[in-house]
Amino acid sequence: MLDSVREIETPEGISLRLRAAGPLPRAQAWMIDTIIRLVLLMLAMIPLAFLGTGGRGLAMLAMFALLWAYWVVCELWLDGQSLGKRALGLRVVNADGTPVTWLPSVTRNLLRVVDALPGVYGVGLASTLVDPGARRLGDIVAGTMVVHAKESSFGHQVPASPAQMLPVPLAPEEQAALVDFAERADQLTVQRQEELANLLEPLTGCRDTAAVARLLGYANGLLGRP
Amino acid sequence: MELERIGVVLRPRESREALDLGATMLRANAGTVWSAWFAFTLPLFVLVNALGLLLQLPWLGLALTWWLLPLFDRVPLYVLSRAVFDRAPRWRETLRGQRGLPWRPTLAGLSWLRLDSHRALRLPLELLEGAPRRQRAARWKVLRRKLVGEASLLTWGCLQFELVLFLSVWLLALWLLPNEWRPASFADFFRHDVHSAGTAWTLAASAVAYLAISAIEPLYVACGFALYLNRRTQLEAWDIDLAFRRLRARLQDASKLLGLLLCLGLPLAGHAASPTPPVAKSAAVSTPQEVFRQPLDEDDRRFAAAAAQVYRDPRFGGEHHVRRWELKYSRPPAQQNVNMGFGPLRMLSGLFNAVLWLALGAVVAALAWFAWRWSSGLRDEALPSSFEANLSTTVDETPETLPQDLAGTARELWQARRRREALALLYRGCAERVAQQLQMPFAVDATESDWLRHAAALGDPARSQRVATIVRTWQFAAYAGRYPDQAAFEQLLDGWPLQPGAAASGGAA
Repeated sequence: MLDSVREIETPEGISLRLRAAGPLPRAQAWMIDTIIRLVLLMLAMIPLAFLGTGGRGLAMLAMFALLWAYWVVCELWLDGQSLGKRALGLRVVNADGTPVTWLPSVTRNLLRVVDALPGVYGVGLASTLVDPGARRLGDIVAGTMVVHAKESSFGHQVPASPAQMLPVPLAPEEQAALVDFAERADQLTVQRQEELANLLEPLTGCRDTAAVARLLGYANGLLGRP
Repeated sequence: MELERIGVVLRPRESREALDLGATMLRANAGTVWSAWFAFTLPLFVLVNALGLLLQLPWLGLALTWWLLPLFDRVPLYVLSRAVFDRAPRWRETLRGQRGLPWRPTLAGLSWLRLDSHRALRLPLELLEGAPRRQRAARWKVLRRKLVGEASLLTWGCLQFELVLFLSVWLLALWLLPNEWRPASFADFFRHDVHSAGTAWTLAASAVAYLAISAIEPLYVACGFALYLNRRTQLEAWDIDLAFRRLRARLQDASKLLGLLLCLGLPLAGHAASPTPPVAKSAAVSTPQEVFRQPLDEDDRRFAAAAAQVYRDPRFGGEHHVRRWELKYSRPPAQQNVNMGFGPLRMLSGLFNAVLWLALGAVVAALAWFAWRWSSGLRDEALPSSFEANLSTTVDETPETLPQDLAGTARELWQARRRREALALLYRGCAERVAQQLQMPFAVDATESDWLRHAAALGDPARSQRVATIVRTWQFAAYAGRYPDQAAFEQLLDGWPLQPGAAASGGAA
């Protein structure tokens, strides 16, 4: 089964799912970061322009900081998210899912030079297109990856209805599917709801509206409601 | 559509994440997608460029290539839409399959919808669903509702990527050019050089652009297709559909099994009750062996399915294709020594050889010297009685019973330069005297502070003071290596603890 998720199992038997972020969201985040940095630099230039040669020196320093330190500072102090990544819900983490620390962060951002070859991020783009984890060379060397940080839920609260007991015991993933159905039923058309509920006729023993209601009852029962 | 055979993990994703699913799908089917892509587009690319050359308009090749993209998009879409259901078609099959896809949307895309920025999203809807036009418009309205922004961003992003790849190739070429071949300035280059070889440069640009488009356009189509899949998963709950189908199959299997058991079990019971066994033998499926094989088989099959699933994971098994270059004709080793060059080179290599041998010798010598120094250092360190060694002898040689003449023995030890043992003896004798005085058993595990506390209980401040002095002196010697001078030591030997008859105040420190 194809998926962009990388699963990591901890020694405690918990599986962490890292949803690797591909070239398109990352390019958008980079674009936002670049615009922010340009704006910052221009804002800094306005007062510095009145300071003559000294001001020019300070502007160079500001440019250096925005070029090199910006990424590391953001990644260390903003939970692995530069401002553009934050806007797009991306995050830099170590390959094992732990928060990025300063050494990998410095490494991956120093190697930005290599990824930016030949001047327009051609190497980085090729690397993210080829690598299964969509990592650029800096990520590969530093042992980090960029993941989607935002976990959005698509369902709503399960509508309350009298709980019903399941006639047969179900496996956990089957129970999860029932609850999923109850959560997302209001986003489906009535016909589709009934179509789905009719699939489970061997379980519910009825069809159409009654089947949908019964599935909602099962979901309420699974959620421990009265 | 057979949803059960789908080869991607369905779950409602953020649309940004769906884009990454598209990239993953493309990566998994890269070979089939690009072989079909080049088989279809390369002849067309050559054709339009030839047309441009014929018409004396070399830029026409590039422009037409770009204009024909909606036509080219059909190929990766066909491959991916088949591959998602676990069967990637070969390139011949793909080209033949193009006839099956509707042409009208492609014509629209090539004419008045050419500048549409939602093409990636429109493609699967129009080519794969093949619904009549009015229904299609309604579906498009539902489908695009939340995806318009994402689809436009996708288009712009892919355009940028193409530009990046295009510029990368040219910049790299510029770097690799020797300095003297480079034009003096860019202005110069575009003013004179380009015009002198206009057609060649345009064709080269066209070829590079075609390669960049070839790299990115399948990604564009795959991402659009993934957005489409994700939207339909949201709208129609495909993931729940799949889970329910699996559950239904399981329940039906179970009930079928139950029914089978009931049907077969009843006649069997009847036979068991009636004493006519030979008739039962002739029935088709009647032996309990065969009846009960069913559940065993079912379990086995599920286990086998689970095992096959595990083995499909690349970490545990499966086939590995390893590609590497190997020399077709391995050169005989004798040839390597033939071309050693002429005199000076040979001398130089001889010199290097000698330097290398010298370096090896130096390393070996350095190692030997280091080893010798290290071992001799160990030996030197073992000779003088170190603090630890002293401590261990003290502990080992402490006699079980104290000598009669404590003070005398201690003084002998002191004069024999065994000051530590002397003080140990002094401390131990002192402790034992305190124990005697208090009429308590001598505790081997009592610490110095214990003895100080006991000394405080003696009821005689002068004696307590002397015990404290002895304990402190011992502690200084034992833990800090600071020994008292001769006079102080003599003072400790005099008087109460070591000479029981003496008065306590005799030698107060």
